[in-house]
Amino acid sequence: MSFISIRSVTKSFTKGKTTITPLEDLSLDVTKGEFLALMGPSGSGKTTLLNLVAGIDSPTHGELTIDSRNIAGLSRAELTRWRAKHVGYIFQLYHLVPILSAYENVELPLLLGKFSKSERKEKIMAALDLVGLTDRAHHRPSELSGGQEQRVAIARAIVHDPGLLVADEPTGDLDRESADSILALLNQLAGEHNKTIVMVTHDPKAAASAHRTLHLEKGQLIEQNLQS
Amino acid sequence: MLPFTYALRNLFRDPSRLAQTVGGSALVVLLLIAAVALNEGMDSVLSASGSSKNVILVGKGSEESIERSEVHLDAESAAATSIRGLDGRLGTTAVSGEIYYQAPLETESGHKDQALLRGVLEKALLVHTKVRLLEGYFPGPGEVMVGHLAHRKLGVDADELSPGMPVKFGDSRFIISGVFAAPGTVLESEIWFDRNDLATLTQRDTLSAIIIRLDSAELDDVQVFSLQRNDLELAAMGEDVYYSKLGVFYQPIKIMTWVTAALVSAGALFGGLNTLYAAFAARIQEMATLQSIGYTRFALLVSLIQESLLATLTGTLIACLIAYFLLDGCTVPFSIGTFTLTLSPQVIFTGLITGSLLGTIGTLPPAFRCLLPPLPKALRSA
Repeated sequence: MSFISIRSVTKSFTKGKTTITPLEDLSLDVTKGEFLALMGPSGSGKTTLLNLVAGIDSPTHGELTIDSRNIAGLSRAELTRWRAKHVGYIFQLYHLVPILSAYENVELPLLLGKFSKSERKEKIMAALDLVGLTDRAHHRPSELSGGQEQRVAIARAIVHDPGLLVADEPTGDLDRESADSILALLNQLAGEHNKTIVMVTHDPKAAASAHRTLHLEKGQLIEQNLQS
Repeated sequence: MLPFTYALRNLFRDPSRLAQTVGGSALVVLLLIAAVALNEGMDSVLSASGSSKNVILVGKGSEESIERSEVHLDAESAAATSIRGLDGRLGTTAVSGEIYYQAPLETESGHKDQALLRGVLEKALLVHTKVRLLEGYFPGPGEVMVGHLAHRKLGVDADELSPGMPVKFGDSRFIISGVFAAPGTVLESEIWFDRNDLATLTQRDTLSAIIIRLDSAELDDVQVFSLQRNDLELAAMGEDVYYSKLGVFYQPIKIMTWVTAALVSAGALFGGLNTLYAAFAARIQEMATLQSIGYTRFALLVSLIQESLLATLTGTLIACLIAYFLLDGCTVPFSIGTFTLTLSPQVIFTGLITGSLLGTIGTLPPAFRCLLPPLPKALRSA
């Protein structure tokens, strides 16, 4: 059974008098623990698809089921509550809160749950350990390198143990070495921790590290590549 | 909800913006505190100056201004003997014929300013019951007694109006015989002359008004007297009514105080709002990130309000401290006297409410602008 099931999803919005349809009648299945890369030129709809899967946006038409829950009809408030439990979002520019330490940034998703301080500490240190940054726990984002910041962002995305990770060009702002280590980490999360990962990327090498790559153009799936 | 420390730390992200917000809110609150204290002070001195037990007899047609009033000298003894039930002491009825005059007075240093002069006889103390001699004695011929705030009205040091010091009215020189207090009333700004001296100096053969203190008698009794003695052309009114009418006369000044405070506050308010807009606009992406993590817009709004409240209440505290050190107890002269600014609980409460409203309602427009954009768009904002 699919972890993510997308059926005839269309997303359109109006800008002035023009209706723009970045995604049209798209169907897709992603299995649990799969690492999926989305590629395509600018305006192809890959970020729109990522936002739909992450519950950041809602489709205009169609069904979008994630882990057996149809999220297509949820309100903004319901989507917010759903995201808090089920999704970890990794951004290209990390989006860490600059006034908080790495530890406090990672703690943010846990503050939405009913965890004691000691439980939170245990989970945060486990997440930071997984990304190899326990020694940087009390550093502010400005005191970390780009690769380290992205690792903190990944720790923040996984600390509350969501089933789904979405990553919007997570290596787009990193040097090759840092990018490779982040991709290895994402692979580890999919392989060893059974996280389902959907990643948007322009980088073919990043896409090659995923289990499967989908190419989009003008809101349509045009090609699928399965990596060995 | 986001932890309170998040709001606290956000305050110090940009110290110059923090200073602008705190400074702006301090200015708004200080102005409102000053405006409320001014209005309260003026209201309080006017209401305290008039006693419901006192009735003023003035010349018919001069009810609006005692200074313009002319009352025949005979009216004083006529009132004292004709009206039953007046207050009095040791055989003296509490009826005081007085002369009011505003004229420049010169002090020892040569400073000359408009002063409020009252020509009285000793029985004036029977009707002005709040008057207490602080030092010296009641003035006789060639002497004056000064209210302890008269120096504020004249704009000189208190030492210049202490017993033994001379003052000049025209070419005549008078020696200060005493200093009196009449807490919370306009009398404290006046200079009391011997009535005959003032009559001579101002070339008057009439009184300005007669003040009558009632015991068992009522205002109606005095009005009946004024009607019966039609020949004296008198009008009677309660002293409290007279001062409350004066309050209406000063209404435009009060309105101007509010308008000035409102205009300056509006400037500070828009400056503060602009600062908040800039501060929040720079964090649209951060707010969107927190929403993507699962924080509701309400939780973020609460955090932004906490942050603003911390700044505006700090400003309020600063404003209250400035008001305490600079305004509290400050005396303000106006045309008929002097009043004292007091940081009453109501004034402080107004300041606190203003600071709280600035931090809550003032935060809403910039916060909505920060939180309302669609999430995908907000996440991409620079």
